[in-house]
Amino acid sequence: MTKRVSLQPCYVLHRRSYRDTSALLDVWSAEFGRVGLVARGVRRPRSRLQGLIQPFQPLLLSWSGRGELYTLAKAEACGSVFRLDGDLVFSGFYINELMIRLVHREDPHPGLYSVYENTLRALAVLSSTAYAGAQSREPSIMALDGLAFAEQRALRLFEKRLLEHIGYGLMLDRDAEKGAPVEKDRNYGYILDRGPVTQHGVALQPGVSVISGRSLLSLAREELNTEESLRDAKHLMRIALDTHLGGKPLQSRRLLITFKKQSRRFIGGDVGHH
Amino acid sequence: MSSSLLIDRLVEALRCLPGVGPKSAQRMAFHVLERDREGARRLAEMLLLAVEKVGHCTLCRTLSETELCKVCSSEHRNRALLCVVETPADVEAIEQAASYSGLYFVLMGRLSPLDGIGANEIGLDALGDRLDKGEVKEVILATNSTVEGEATAHYIAEIARSCGVKTTRIAQGVPLGGELEYVDGGTLAHALVGRREL
Repeated sequence: MTKRVSLQPCYVLHRRSYRDTSALLDVWSAEFGRVGLVARGVRRPRSRLQGLIQPFQPLLLSWSGRGELYTLAKAEACGSVFRLDGDLVFSGFYINELMIRLVHREDPHPGLYSVYENTLRALAVLSSTAYAGAQSREPSIMALDGLAFAEQRALRLFEKRLLEHIGYGLMLDRDAEKGAPVEKDRNYGYILDRGPVTQHGVALQPGVSVISGRSLLSLAREELNTEESLRDAKHLMRIALDTHLGGKPLQSRRLLITFKKQSRRFIGGDVGHH
Repeated sequence: MSSSLLIDRLVEALRCLPGVGPKSAQRMAFHVLERDREGARRLAEMLLLAVEKVGHCTLCRTLSETELCKVCSSEHRNRALLCVVETPADVEAIEQAASYSGLYFVLMGRLSPLDGIGANEIGLDALGDRLDKGEVKEVILATNSTVEGEATAHYIAEIARSCGVKTTRIAQGVPLGGELEYVDGGTLAHALVGRREL
């Protein structure tokens, strides 16, 4: 059965060269989820799609074919590219890698499309505030602090919503044992496949992390506006994601870590956020 | 399939070349066997020799049969200028097009975390060591104008900054002889951002 899709809102998550002039695309589409496309001739010197078929560019794609890999028929821009300057591009790679690793091919998740798009938009807004002005590519240290916070926040919210949409959402606002609402002034032990518990001694068991009720609620309400809640959310999300990633580390995270080491050398050990 | 096993294997082997499908591989095979056995022998010898002898320049990482490539060992190049490119083909392109007198550093790729290519895979540790030595005064970033090329440029800019080396990025914009009407939106936006005073 040949499938034909016309002018579907899409983002390219990843693009890899294929044969001499073509590319294999991992595409994230609004209605059909992640699909694999072959873009024939896109790498020809005079191809008009060359610059268009790039990550973070809102696109309308048409494709057809059967089986697992479809053929790209047409592509046009629908809006201008989300510019991720400087460090923010690494965050862009990160969310793309999470999508590729955690979302199955051809498994539609309609709500997740706008989650992805809004995260890109949030990162692009940060990018344009931090790197404002045509010539300056260097944000001030002050801006850098606020930037890192907002960037981390956007990533945590993306992770949380991504897990929810693919069916691994975390229980955050109720005690998993007693069903009572989480109280902000209590500490909880978090058991991944169950949720927060107050049971005495549970925190000492392996695979259980301690997290404050305040941080749990902050993540549940998607606020994350204190350093502490952000740090706790990062810790919790890291553990949750790692179980779903099957032990294979995220390459974009590895890259970001080496990059931060590099910048720390420059700033002199004063970057506390990552 | 032809009647000869050896010809089949030759056709198959020729297909490792870019742009060569079964049909053109067969044409090449028949051509050398029917008309140009001498040329084929030369080609075979050169292939063997090149594969055996050509390695990487220890300084710039480009393909070279000597420890230092021609550019790196030349006395007429400006050693304070270092142009970072993705592939040896990029070096050739710049050499032919521009009157560039500095040295090169060839990444042999670009940062691409989703393909598992990180900083060390493209030799950024070696580049950092080289910039640390202080001979290089300016790094020109000539990576491709793709998301990954930009990420690579940003990463290298950070290394250069930590070593106190000036960094520049090659200009992006309207091609020579290009008409604005036909330039794509992204390029035009870049061209406007990167405008300069006359």
